[in-house]
Amino acid sequence: MKLQFFLLLTLIVGISSLTSAREVPQVELGSYDPWDSKVVETFENLLMQESGRVKPIYSYSRFTLLQFSGKTSLRFGTKDGETHELHYSEWMLDVLFRGNVAKALPVFVVDNSAAIVQIGVSPKEKRDRYSYDEIVSGRAKLAELSAQYGEKQRKHTESEKDPQYELDPIEGMILTLGRNISAFEFLVGQFSFARKGQLLVNENILPQEMVALAATLDPVAIIDKMPEMSIQQLGRAIQQPDNGDEDARMFTSALRLFFFYANSARGINLFPPQENDNEIWLSASDAMLEGLESKEARPWAVEQLRELQNVIEASTQGTETFSAALAAFSDSQRAKADARGEGEHSALEVHLYRGKYFSYALYLFVFGFIILATSWFSPASKFGRVMVLIASLLALAGLLLDISGITLRSIIRDRPPITNLYDTVIFITATAVLLGLIIEYFTRIGVGALIAIVSGMLGMFLSIKYEAKEATDTITQLVAVLDTNFWLATHVTIINIGYAAGLVSAIIGMLYLAARFVLNLVGKEAKDFVKLLTRMNYGVVCFCLFFSLVGTVLGGIWANYSWGRFWGWDPKENGALMICIWTLVILHGRMAGWIRDLGIHMNGIILGIIVTFSWWGVNNLGVGLHSYGFTEGVWNSLYKSWGVMGIFLLMGIWLYIDDRAKKTAKKAERNSKETDPQVNSA
Amino acid sequence: MEFTLPTLTIGATTLALITTSCSDSGASGPNLVNRKLSENENSFRLVETSAERFRYQLTPSNPSGSEGSGTSNSANQIGLTYSTPDGWTKTPGSPMRDVNLSFGTNGEGECYVARLPGMGGGLLANVNRWRQQMGASPITQAEADALPVRPLFGQPAKFISVDGKFSGMGATEGKDDYRMLGLILASEAGAVFVKMTGPRKLVEANEKNFNIFTNSLDVGP
Amino acid sequence: MANKKTQEKETSLLKVLYKFFTSFKLATVVFVLMTIVTLFGTLAQVEMGLFAAKEKYFHSVWIIDEIGNFPVFLPGGGLLMAFLFINMSLGAVVKVKKRWKGAGTLISHIGMLMLFGGAFVTWGLGTDGYMALYPGMKSDRVESYRKWQLEVMPLNDDASADEVWILPADELSSIRPRSPRSYTTDDLPFEIIVSDYSPNAIPTPITAPMAAGSAAREIDGFKLLPQQKAKEAAANIPGCYVEFKPKSGDSDNISAILSAYSFRFDPGESPMPFVFELEGQKFGALIAKKSWHIPFEVQLDEFIFDRHPGISMARNYESRVTRLETDKGAKPLEIKMNEPMRYEGYTFFQESFGPAGSQPGDRMYSQFAVANNPADQWPLWALVVTSIGLGVHFVIMLLDYMARSRKKRIQAAS
Repeated sequence: MKLQFFLLLTLIVGISSLTSAREVPQVELGSYDPWDSKVVETFENLLMQESGRVKPIYSYSRFTLLQFSGKTSLRFGTKDGETHELHYSEWMLDVLFRGNVAKALPVFVVDNSAAIVQIGVSPKEKRDRYSYDEIVSGRAKLAELSAQYGEKQRKHTESEKDPQYELDPIEGMILTLGRNISAFEFLVGQFSFARKGQLLVNENILPQEMVALAATLDPVAIIDKMPEMSIQQLGRAIQQPDNGDEDARMFTSALRLFFFYANSARGINLFPPQENDNEIWLSASDAMLEGLESKEARPWAVEQLRELQNVIEASTQGTETFSAALAAFSDSQRAKADARGEGEHSALEVHLYRGKYFSYALYLFVFGFIILATSWFSPASKFGRVMVLIASLLALAGLLLDISGITLRSIIRDRPPITNLYDTVIFITATAVLLGLIIEYFTRIGVGALIAIVSGMLGMFLSIKYEAKEATDTITQLVAVLDTNFWLATHVTIINIGYAAGLVSAIIGMLYLAARFVLNLVGKEAKDFVKLLTRMNYGVVCFCLFFSLVGTVLGGIWANYSWGRFWGWDPKENGALMICIWTLVILHGRMAGWIRDLGIHMNGIILGIIVTFSWWGVNNLGVGLHSYGFTEGVWNSLYKSWGVMGIFLLMGIWLYIDDRAKKTAKKAERNSKETDPQVNSA
Repeated sequence: MEFTLPTLTIGATTLALITTSCSDSGASGPNLVNRKLSENENSFRLVETSAERFRYQLTPSNPSGSEGSGTSNSANQIGLTYSTPDGWTKTPGSPMRDVNLSFGTNGEGECYVARLPGMGGGLLANVNRWRQQMGASPITQAEADALPVRPLFGQPAKFISVDGKFSGMGATEGKDDYRMLGLILASEAGAVFVKMTGPRKLVEANEKNFNIFTNSLDVGP
Repeated sequence: MANKKTQEKETSLLKVLYKFFTSFKLATVVFVLMTIVTLFGTLAQVEMGLFAAKEKYFHSVWIIDEIGNFPVFLPGGGLLMAFLFINMSLGAVVKVKKRWKGAGTLISHIGMLMLFGGAFVTWGLGTDGYMALYPGMKSDRVESYRKWQLEVMPLNDDASADEVWILPADELSSIRPRSPRSYTTDDLPFEIIVSDYSPNAIPTPITAPMAAGSAAREIDGFKLLPQQKAKEAAANIPGCYVEFKPKSGDSDNISAILSAYSFRFDPGESPMPFVFELEGQKFGALIAKKSWHIPFEVQLDEFIFDRHPGISMARNYESRVTRLETDKGAKPLEIKMNEPMRYEGYTFFQESFGPAGSQPGDRMYSQFAVANNPADQWPLWALVVTSIGLGVHFVIMLLDYMARSRKKRIQAAS
């Protein structure tokens, strides 16, 4: 009883410490004017093309803020004493339309203040977030260092990981910060072409003689006035020796300014192309240059740029105007995209992220865990049984959320559920939770619910961590080899079900060991409980064998079908093979009489280690064909998980020695009573 | 037992299979085998020297002409003409450089022309190598593509201007407050690099000379 | 399933062996060792590359490895597979009692044996190579990925040749340093003496610093410097020294370095043989890819390469080809990722493309992997059989479990 109370207490303390509010950072802004909700809604549904895919700007904002700050929202206090919490799309609105506000917001996460000290900026907490304004005094030093480390990193890759080029953590942080700051500057300066010389970042970048011109020049208007010349010819025109002609000087200055603006406006591809067979969306920069170069494209380019220019100009003219301009731009863009059949699932994508399916699923699993833990106070009572039921229902709800998220993602990209490493996380979680619930349905003793909830918590936590760490869009395009729905749906899905089963086997194994260590198991009931766990695990191992084997051989058939070799000893193939073989070790070892209860559970844990190795480890060996997901820093987490499982294995070995000692003692006792012939234990 | 015979047979054949496939299989003996060549594969390219045969010398593409555009790297044999701006002097350069000039009171300013066969490593790599020499951060392909252009040999060459701490090849210590001006012309026919470095003020004063020099560059006898 | 018929006490060697080979214990041990070997073989790929790791761990009888400085001996993948094959055939198929309850396991083991059988057939009889073509080119020859042979050909005036004499790849690669071998045929006026064959070597000009320190023989300003074998076996560039000894004995021997560098790197190139003249006839000598004839010609009409919009990731590439046969005429076809062309036992897969670093709009070649595997479809049938077996087995187990627990419940109730 004491123990259960202790468990619960730890849990409550743990959760409350997680959710406790951190101190709100104060920013150098007198006040913050929040964006109108209609503006936000229109903005986040704007479409753009990035990484080969048309998506809502909502997703782009999400992953950009994640990349900068490691979080998807932003809290800060202003000088008027107000506290604000910004959603990522509101933040992106600030970045694109109110650069000076965005520059004051603390979004750049630095894990170790040593990195900040190195660029000559005064540090805050050891791990903290900085605003652009805070970092700008160290901008030059940051650029210098990040260039240096970028070069080092390049050499590291080129030399196939020569340790002398390996970046230490601080260097890595500076490099990341440098890249993020550059990216941020690009975003803030993105729409300079419509701001009459207001650049917002790197203000001194324009030569003095151009500043005056910039205040009056409309770069879009220039396009129509240009003679039809190639960019190269224009470039040469700029270089014509200055013959004192005022007109000529104006012309070259204007042209230079135009190129400068065009150069800043790259990256956010908002314009669907004019031709239907062209797949590449254009940025403002592309439109400017295309309009300059080809007379035919001019009316189109000018029209696009004017539409965008209206939005940018309206952004300073009050909410009503901005909202209307944004809506007009959005409608026009949407009509063009619809005609091309693009961006049809963008609303669904916004819904997917807004719905926070996986976060809510995590909350449900955690809540379910607390409920389940209360059942341990009196497992056999009616109260206990009701609590188990409630926990199971919560797990079921979490599972349904997870499955909904997976389904939405499948619909959005029009693909089977698994196309990349992130997908495997949420899919394997769903499978493991489902397995746990099925076990619960058949056994009704709370163990299945516990398996479901533990898998759900771990899996959802991992998915959220992984997304934050990668900070890139998780709905990705596929390389040509994987571009086949049939094999993705069969081989990939089935093999991941096998992975899930292997992990569940490890969880049962650990539960078994924990149960034997923590609970004082005596009597028939306890024996039955242990037997039940063993049968469960045996069943899960069989399940694992079936799916791993079918999945592996299907993979071979795919390989043979697609590039002519059934088996190539590729690391990912070997990983799957090891899973199959280890389940066979368990099944045959049991038939050989070598392993029983303890043996099956310990081997289940080894199976779990093998699964994590082939799920995450082999991708990071840096060899082989299945390179669909390389992730930095995975080894550390893997070692940690293996460490935990290793401790359970040690516990198992200790139990084994203990069991044997008891058995020999018993045998000796019995032998002293009667001199029986040896009992055949096979 | 009646199963023992099949046991041994299967065992023996399996082992035999394994051992044979592990050793070098089927050496066909020291005999030369004759084969007729079909017209898809009967033409060869006869080269004069071992250097060519081992690909140490780039030579015009093969006579069968199936490699597409015949690239010519003959630029290396052709000389250059140019006018030396006032105050600039010719200096001996490395064998990599076609023209090597210096300027400034102590000759601290330097300008050279180098030509390489092929794309010379590509625009981006070279721009970033230069930027790195000036301690500037590398730029992306898109940024490199958007660099301003200036004429060189009548063709559009990318113009680079970087300020910073210059540490050139083999330099141990960087030189502060330097400026680099450069032109890169990368085409399939070959790559041309013009690079000027020196203290920022000196380079500023000599930018006109740089333009005069680059405009005067031409291929000649 | 213990063999309870142990009343016959006489233990002949065969019986002991039979018992050993049919036991679950052997199966378990083999599986554990296989897991270890697979793990080692996977990790080793990081250091030694796929091909070498495959040879050392999976295609071997014994493995000698080191952990730290401690030598470890392991049975190789080949030996383990043989044991498993025997164990499975005898234990799970021949010896096992034929009961309904065991039907599932029996079927699934037969399926696995089929998979093994397919692997053996593929190993023994399958070939694989590639064919690379620029649009407009055609060929009926498949080249090996990593086997090289020596070719000598009399040259015509227009740099063409009608026939070649081949020193086969297996013979060439068995030539060891400092033991030259001599080859001859009645049709050529010289003997060919090959020496110092190296599977990966760079012909290096003697002016280069690394050549100066080498004891290798210099010919025409070059030395052949052997290198470590490449991680990717296909990246090896073999080379050798060769001497042509005129049979007439009138003139001096002609010696040369031959290197695979002179072979084509790109399907558009023509190989560059070493050329020499003897008795008024020009000859060429070359290290060339081993190649073999297929009974039809394939012509590449068009190669289509498609990227994801705005990024360089390949979305799709496919080849429009025409299959040409003398008696059956021409047939236009498409070969793309996941959609190979299967014909007359040969399968053409869209494998890759080149040249490396091509930009959109460049002229590109298409490369096909060409496999000939009599056991091509066996894994599929094996999988079907195995899954049926496992399915049946697990259903039987589940029914059995449910029946037992019902019995228990009834017992508990009464």
